[in-house]
Amino acid sequence: MASTSKDVPIVTIEENPPDDLEPGACYDSILNPTDSFEEFASEMSSSLQERNISLAAINSTISEIQSEIGENSAQIKTTKSSDDLQNKDESISASTSNSNLIEQNGDDTDNEKDDYLQTPELVNKEKHVFILSSAGKPIYSRYGNEDKLAGLCGVIQALVSVVEEQNQDILRSITTKDCKAVFLVKGPLILVAVSKSNESETQLVLQLTYAFNQIVSVLTLTQLNRIFEQRRNYDLRRLLSGAERLIDHLLIFMEKDPAFLLGAVRCLPLPEKARENITSAIQSTCNKIRDLVFAIMLAGNQLITLVRMKKYTLHPSDIHLLFNLVRSSESFKTAESWTPICLPKFDSTGFLHGHVSYISEDCQACLLLLTVQRDAFFPLSQAKHTIAEKLRRSNCLVAINDALNRNEELPTTNPLKHIGIPEIRHFMYKCKSTAQLFTSDPISLDKLQDYRMRHKVGGDIMVKKIEKLSDIDYVRNYRRFCSSIHCTSTPAKLIFRSNSSDTILAWVTNGFELYVTFDPLMEKDQAIKAVDRLLKWIKKEEQRIFIMHAPTF
Amino acid sequence: MSSRKKVLLKVIILGDSGVGKTSLMNQFVNKKFSNQYKATIGADFLTKEVIVDDRIVTMQIWDTAGQERFQSLGVAFYRGADCCVLVFDVTAPNTFKSLESWRDEFLIQASPRDPDNFPFVILGNKVDLDNRAVSAKRAQQWCQSKNDIPYFETSAKEAVNVELAFQTIARNALAQETEAELYNEFPDQIKLNANDNGRNRDGDNCAC
Repeated sequence: MASTSKDVPIVTIEENPPDDLEPGACYDSILNPTDSFEEFASEMSSSLQERNISLAAINSTISEIQSEIGENSAQIKTTKSSDDLQNKDESISASTSNSNLIEQNGDDTDNEKDDYLQTPELVNKEKHVFILSSAGKPIYSRYGNEDKLAGLCGVIQALVSVVEEQNQDILRSITTKDCKAVFLVKGPLILVAVSKSNESETQLVLQLTYAFNQIVSVLTLTQLNRIFEQRRNYDLRRLLSGAERLIDHLLIFMEKDPAFLLGAVRCLPLPEKARENITSAIQSTCNKIRDLVFAIMLAGNQLITLVRMKKYTLHPSDIHLLFNLVRSSESFKTAESWTPICLPKFDSTGFLHGHVSYISEDCQACLLLLTVQRDAFFPLSQAKHTIAEKLRRSNCLVAINDALNRNEELPTTNPLKHIGIPEIRHFMYKCKSTAQLFTSDPISLDKLQDYRMRHKVGGDIMVKKIEKLSDIDYVRNYRRFCSSIHCTSTPAKLIFRSNSSDTILAWVTNGFELYVTFDPLMEKDQAIKAVDRLLKWIKKEEQRIFIMHAPTF
Repeated sequence: MSSRKKVLLKVIILGDSGVGKTSLMNQFVNKKFSNQYKATIGADFLTKEVIVDDRIVTMQIWDTAGQERFQSLGVAFYRGADCCVLVFDVTAPNTFKSLESWRDEFLIQASPRDPDNFPFVILGNKVDLDNRAVSAKRAQQWCQSKNDIPYFETSAKEAVNVELAFQTIARNALAQETEAELYNEFPDQIKLNANDNGRNRDGDNCAC
């Protein structure tokens, strides 16, 4: 969605006098504050026809905006729920091959493929993700060898098609006692998540959409559609080879980072002055470079600054894809790279060209300079060196390293200690208007490092009780509250829940979303007071925690 | 790492009910045969790896139901097929006569890009039985009249020609696949200042 800053709804801000701004809010945002949940919920409630229309119209930004308006108004319409479907036509189960497949399992115990579904690499995983073409050809599987899953892909394609063609409807999910299968048909691809976790259907659809966007980011939507228009039997793995790694990492990333859950971006907490210096170093170096659209500096999946061409903002989900790209590409560390990148929300039809490099050997901040010129490597490389030099001279590299190494002296390194409310175990705060996120225990770099180790192994359902909860575990607990708050039919504003292990408060207002975990015996009024102090602290530190300006070239 | 170039072929098996589609597939994939008849409901999916000219090819075989009442999936099943195998029973002339309509049906539903050269293979099954009613000559003539479709006489029961037939299927489908190598053009530059994409309606053209 290549929205202009004109599109950015700053209505919420204008309504309030400046002093009442919620922590982290500012007049101009670098990010599109789109509520990703509403977006996916509307994806889920659109009917087959609407889906086809919106896909057909995706090419131009104008019609995209139009179709968006259409989608929003269509939210009231409900398509047949999956329950209806099950009752409606028993031929679904009869005419797809599921039953046959099972029968066959019994008959041929030495059948290689049937055995394969029972192998340790597939059984007992918390979540599977399968991607296939609408012809039923496998493209990606989170675990195992997708070639050997060709039979399963045939079954998935049959299930999806039977609902689509015989019932003129969309198969959204199948729920069994301990397992959810969620389906997303997007363009020429079918994406399926099979999950035993506590994630809601919407949350799983969101993850599948991200996986789809990751593929678009590699190919562009135009090319993806064109390929399958020309050859419906195309084996997309040929074009994606090497990109599976990006999908692997993205899926692991999404399990761990609440940024996806909330559709927000984490910022690296920095002293106000340091961030200003970094931004102006980039601005002063780049403002003469034509056609540079975005200059983005990031470190450890956190945004340091973003300078943009006037009129253009970025959607958090595009930034997440950039984080993922940097995170999963070891090669950026050793050399300056020049790479085509499609940012699906910005413009799914074409590539931006990115100069990607780490600032210096002694600082793990990565700079991306994104342009529409395909031969701008040398001027951008020159710009990067100038920027790096300026940052070194103004001691900004030290400031970045302090933040990355979580220097104990920074108040933002250990916020809970600094706030001084011992009953708070963990919190997560999203400023809605700027789509930025802060949590009390940001995932440290070390923990991110093991993303890479896990790759395609791991992911098994954990039986062992975890002794010390980390950010990731708290976030897992918030999922349920998050989906009650984002529920489209009866959204909750405030949830207070107490049990023997902890007390959780989830609160959403026009300006922010807040999730707090307290000790189990926390009283309600006590909790409210604590939250009050917490918000005051965030307000006080907002200049460090968040990016409060929206600089342009 | 990227040189592994896997190939996966979608193969559809069509033909009247009872001609032995499932048996052929079972013989090919599992090396097994059963005299018991069990109607296929909807479709069965099996995969098998074969080696064609030193390339490892995964065949994703879609064994469809011959009975009309299970024929509802048409388009969805045929979509994106790499090869279509038409099977008839050499002891049952009506199953041979149906080949024409099976082939037409497939071409209409699947609407491949180049229908004249779409790889079909015809299998005359049950040649182990004594009561043969369709001669090899008659079958071959029909195949020739349809742009030289390869014809094999098979017995799923005695594993006659099954391996060979599927090898040919894989090879012919593969030949199609390698014919057209497209998508090397570098796609789609974003045009920031193009007036037709509506993004710059604000009229501010300054890119700096």
